[in-house]
Amino acid sequence: MATDNANADGFGEVSRVRGIVFEYLSLGASVFGLVALGVLLVYVSIDAFDLANASPVWLLTYFLTLVVPFLAFCLYSANDPAVTRRALGVLGGGLVAVAAVFTAIETLLVPIPRLNWQLAYLFVVGAPVTAYLTYVGSGERVGAVGFGFLGRLLGGAALGLAVGTLFLVFDSLVWFLAYTLGVVPAVALYAFGSARSVPQAQTAALPAGLLGVVAAVFLRGVVPTYPSDLLIYLWTIAIPVAAAGAFAVAERRGRTAAAVVAGVPLALAAAGGFAAAGAGLPAPTVLLVLVLTGVPTAVYVSRVVDAGEGLVGFALPVLLVGGVVAGALIVEALGVPAPDPWLDPSFLTEAPSQTPTEAGLYPAIVGSVIIIAMVAVLSFALGVGTSVFLEEYTPGSGPLGTLTRIIQVNVANLAAVPSVVYGLLGLGLFANLLGLGIGTAVTAALTLSLLILPITIISAQEAIRSVPDDLRRGSDAMGATRWQTTKNVVLPEAMPGILTGTILALGRAIGETAPLIMIGAATTVFRAPDSLFSRFSAMPMQIYVWAGFPQADFRYGVVAAGVITLLIILVGMNGTAILLRNRAERGN
Amino acid sequence: MSNTTSDDSLITTEVQTESNDESAPPAGAGTAVAARDLNVYYGDEQAIDDVSMEIPEKRVTALIGPSGCGKSTFLRTINRMNDMIEICRVDGEVEFGGKNVYDDDVDPVALRRKIGMVFQKPNPFPKSIRDNVAYGLKIQGFDGDVDARVEESLKGAALWDEVKDQLDSSGLELSGGQQQRLCIARAIAPDPEVILMDEPTSALDPVAASKIEDLIDDLAEEYTVIIVTHNMQQAARISDRTAVFLTGGELVEYDDTAKIFEDPEEQRVEDYITGKFG
Amino acid sequence: MTDSTESPDLSRQGGLTRLKEGTYGGLFAACAVITLLTTVAIFVTLLSDAVVFFRATPIAEFLTGINWSPNPAGGGQAFGLVPLLIGTLVVTITAAFISIPVGTLTAIYLSEYATPNARSILKPLLEILAGVPTVVYGYFALVYITPALKATLFPEMSTFNALSASIMVGIMTIPMVSSISEDAMSAVPDELRQAGYGLGATKFEVSTGIVVPASISGIASSYILAVSRAIGETMIVVVAMGAQARMPAIREAAFGIPFINPADVLLESGMTITVAMVQITGGDLTGGTLPYNSMFALGLTLFVVTLVMNVISDIIAERYREEY
Repeated sequence: MATDNANADGFGEVSRVRGIVFEYLSLGASVFGLVALGVLLVYVSIDAFDLANASPVWLLTYFLTLVVPFLAFCLYSANDPAVTRRALGVLGGGLVAVAAVFTAIETLLVPIPRLNWQLAYLFVVGAPVTAYLTYVGSGERVGAVGFGFLGRLLGGAALGLAVGTLFLVFDSLVWFLAYTLGVVPAVALYAFGSARSVPQAQTAALPAGLLGVVAAVFLRGVVPTYPSDLLIYLWTIAIPVAAAGAFAVAERRGRTAAAVVAGVPLALAAAGGFAAAGAGLPAPTVLLVLVLTGVPTAVYVSRVVDAGEGLVGFALPVLLVGGVVAGALIVEALGVPAPDPWLDPSFLTEAPSQTPTEAGLYPAIVGSVIIIAMVAVLSFALGVGTSVFLEEYTPGSGPLGTLTRIIQVNVANLAAVPSVVYGLLGLGLFANLLGLGIGTAVTAALTLSLLILPITIISAQEAIRSVPDDLRRGSDAMGATRWQTTKNVVLPEAMPGILTGTILALGRAIGETAPLIMIGAATTVFRAPDSLFSRFSAMPMQIYVWAGFPQADFRYGVVAAGVITLLIILVGMNGTAILLRNRAERGN
Repeated sequence: MSNTTSDDSLITTEVQTESNDESAPPAGAGTAVAARDLNVYYGDEQAIDDVSMEIPEKRVTALIGPSGCGKSTFLRTINRMNDMIEICRVDGEVEFGGKNVYDDDVDPVALRRKIGMVFQKPNPFPKSIRDNVAYGLKIQGFDGDVDARVEESLKGAALWDEVKDQLDSSGLELSGGQQQRLCIARAIAPDPEVILMDEPTSALDPVAASKIEDLIDDLAEEYTVIIVTHNMQQAARISDRTAVFLTGGELVEYDDTAKIFEDPEEQRVEDYITGKFG
Repeated sequence: MTDSTESPDLSRQGGLTRLKEGTYGGLFAACAVITLLTTVAIFVTLLSDAVVFFRATPIAEFLTGINWSPNPAGGGQAFGLVPLLIGTLVVTITAAFISIPVGTLTAIYLSEYATPNARSILKPLLEILAGVPTVVYGYFALVYITPALKATLFPEMSTFNALSASIMVGIMTIPMVSSISEDAMSAVPDELRQAGYGLGATKFEVSTGIVVPASISGIASSYILAVSRAIGETMIVVVAMGAQARMPAIREAAFGIPFINPADVLLESGMTITVAMVQITGGDLTGGTLPYNSMFALGLTLFVVTLVMNVISDIIAERYREEY
């Protein structure tokens, strides 16, 4: 702004002190909340991972074996001397600065509880630098390959576990019948229709599929024998996933490559599944994890190898695993005492307990996954339907226009209704009046779906509105019906935005507690739910209950671990949503 | 575009050459679209004022006039794209294929399948070139050889040679002029009877625009082309018949293009064409 | 008029196509109607049980009663809203002391001072504040904020107290104030700013003297939304504020003027409307009892209050949209 420094001689000078103070004050206000949250997150991480008891040698070992190689990988990928200089400067300068400031505060003012300067350095300097370098590194080819590869491994594994969890409550036999009698014929009809240009076959696909699903429900009790669970998952999930992978590769690279990309992970997964069955492990979950990790990864590898760039990136997972193993070996060899984190594998696989060290989150995680899966389906379907109706199907005037405006205002107001009131709705309507049961997964899923429905609708509307009108008019002028325009032009364009909004809304649902309390979700359950109508708990519910326990080990240990677990899942979901959005924006 | 009088002679010469080339007189052809006592209102404002005109088959008819004169509105009444505008009200008749398209039993969707439309700004769908051209076939449930029809349409739109090796790449990767020809290919793929063009070259550079003009000439062998343009030279170059709309949606003069540009009946039309007005 | 041999068929398509179009249209309309039904269902559910409650407890008694004890151990059941209202007001006002100044300054910084780059980083980061599950905030308040305040400023503070909870509610609602206010400020046309600079105003004077007044209705509507959100906030207060419905002690200052010492309210535990509802769920949830019905009366109160605030905020915001 020219006026800001127009202090030309002869005109005197207007005081800027107030302005400068105000600018820094407002900057301070902007980051106030974030800094406060950041400090709290630091403390909850320290508690969850017992970092307060980590010796400096232990920290240094892992810093050298894990963090430094990771940063080196990012710098190698960024391949920019300026970034390298800056990163090294901040890491080095930060070390001196943090140590000096921290020591000064401790000696002159107050001792800072449960922090030492090494930890402070890791959080204040190490974490931001790592985040920045991850961002810069992933922008270049090598880093993009590395993180893409890592993301598919982790995402596939998480998805496999989640799908496996769903079958704890959903009847896999009904699914088997529905898939065989409904999905397969419908897909076959549709594919036949598009390949041979037989529109009748395409039209018939949906009714045929529905018929098959209905038939499946009736046949469930009639059919006497079923294949084993492992075979069911192989047939209904592993093979279609592999087929989809093969399809994605076949268009680009031909049949042989497709067969390899789909066949190898499928064979590995099947072998893994049978091996697990032999070893007494949960074979279906092993199969699902292997196939949902393997196929997308294989497709990705094939694509990267095709492009022939950034192959070094594939070393990233090896680097990380190697770092962990090396760190563990060194710590063991040196005899350094290791911290005893509350958040460890047993925390995720055990049931809650009165003893802090034995308490686990497993039933609550399962409960959350099941609820969120149902909420996702319900709120996505209702959200897309409503937003399509509001944006594409209704005029702005006339009686229908008035109805649209009423719905619109109503949606905006619903978004602001306190969540605890939705809880009452769930209790009064779903649990008691409709008899779905107090504290059951179905009641919870319906309640939470209604709770996030307004958010889903509003974001879906925005996504649909951002589709240029030119495209709609182009389609209309071709003689497309409203549904054809919606299906062929509007929804494909709006889908990334709709998905992003839905995932963000699901993030809201997964952390909601008050409605769960109101519908009487169980405070503590010791077994994972085995049907939609069994009492269940959810992660935030369990956190709430534990936070009320008086023992310090619960307050500062177990709950912290639960909070970190919940936050990691949230970050994973929101990260996926943001990646989706960025990808769609890049695509245009 | 320039409306100065010095351009007048240029226009006249071109028109003369053009009309000399034409063997069949436009008036002799059958009627593709006819408007009778057509009035269109946007709310209280009248956009088309009692227009009656017959548009000949397999000819290029240009609609010209100053901005806001209702020429685009008239174009959109033909395929009922005005239905999308809620405050728009239509009185009178538009006959197409012996039927008033505003009759109650006419489905605007079915109507639009018989009448293609090309817009001012190229608006290819964010799909592959092949899917763009095949779009109309797909929604109409075409059960013939789609690929053959795609090729035929792209050839008809003089785009085939440029894109035949990249049919699966996105239509958005093409240049502006190519995109507009893609839109023309999309419009002709379902084999409509009439093609409406709403200032199809105004968003394009001159070279791309002249390609489209050549293409329009060829299209008129098979289709009835009705084109809105604010570029008088363009109207003079490519059209057989010209209708001049002036402010208020009034159809002031409608005649053979040569006649309009050489010897208009109305003083207002002459003023407009020579740039004294508008 | 025409010599074309066959006239095209323009008639409406029948049968399958029509059916398909109608089915999809109907499905979408049904989805949209579900949102209306939700509102109706909320209202009916709340009202039907609240009516039963008000038959047993007159509305006047409910609104003016100063004692809340729905599940007393030794008798003396009482349903007085006043202590809950006080608790709710304390949390809301204290939270507003954080969210309103911080949120407004944030909005000014984002809209007037921040570079596009800084804005593109800060805005999504601020949304994180609203995205953290509230039970996590409640946990933070209980195990980190309260001990920290106790160790430094208020040694006499009780473990469950209104202050820590309010601070967390305030931080959580910052993005509500900042994002809506920033939208309103960004909507102020640049000509107004240019006019200010043209008169020799500094950036500070333009920001506070021109932009803020011009967008005041948007800013006000953001305040109302943030306050309404604070009123309905449940988990933070449930976890960190405890559950004691108390009337604050009324002290006498000089000349016998009664006053309430803020410390009596802020540093002690208390109970908001939402906490009261959660507390009742510890009992029987199948319905039919008076405490069960009182929950719906409280819910109705909450619903009406937040609804009214949203409508007011909408009306105010509508006005500023018309201005430009």
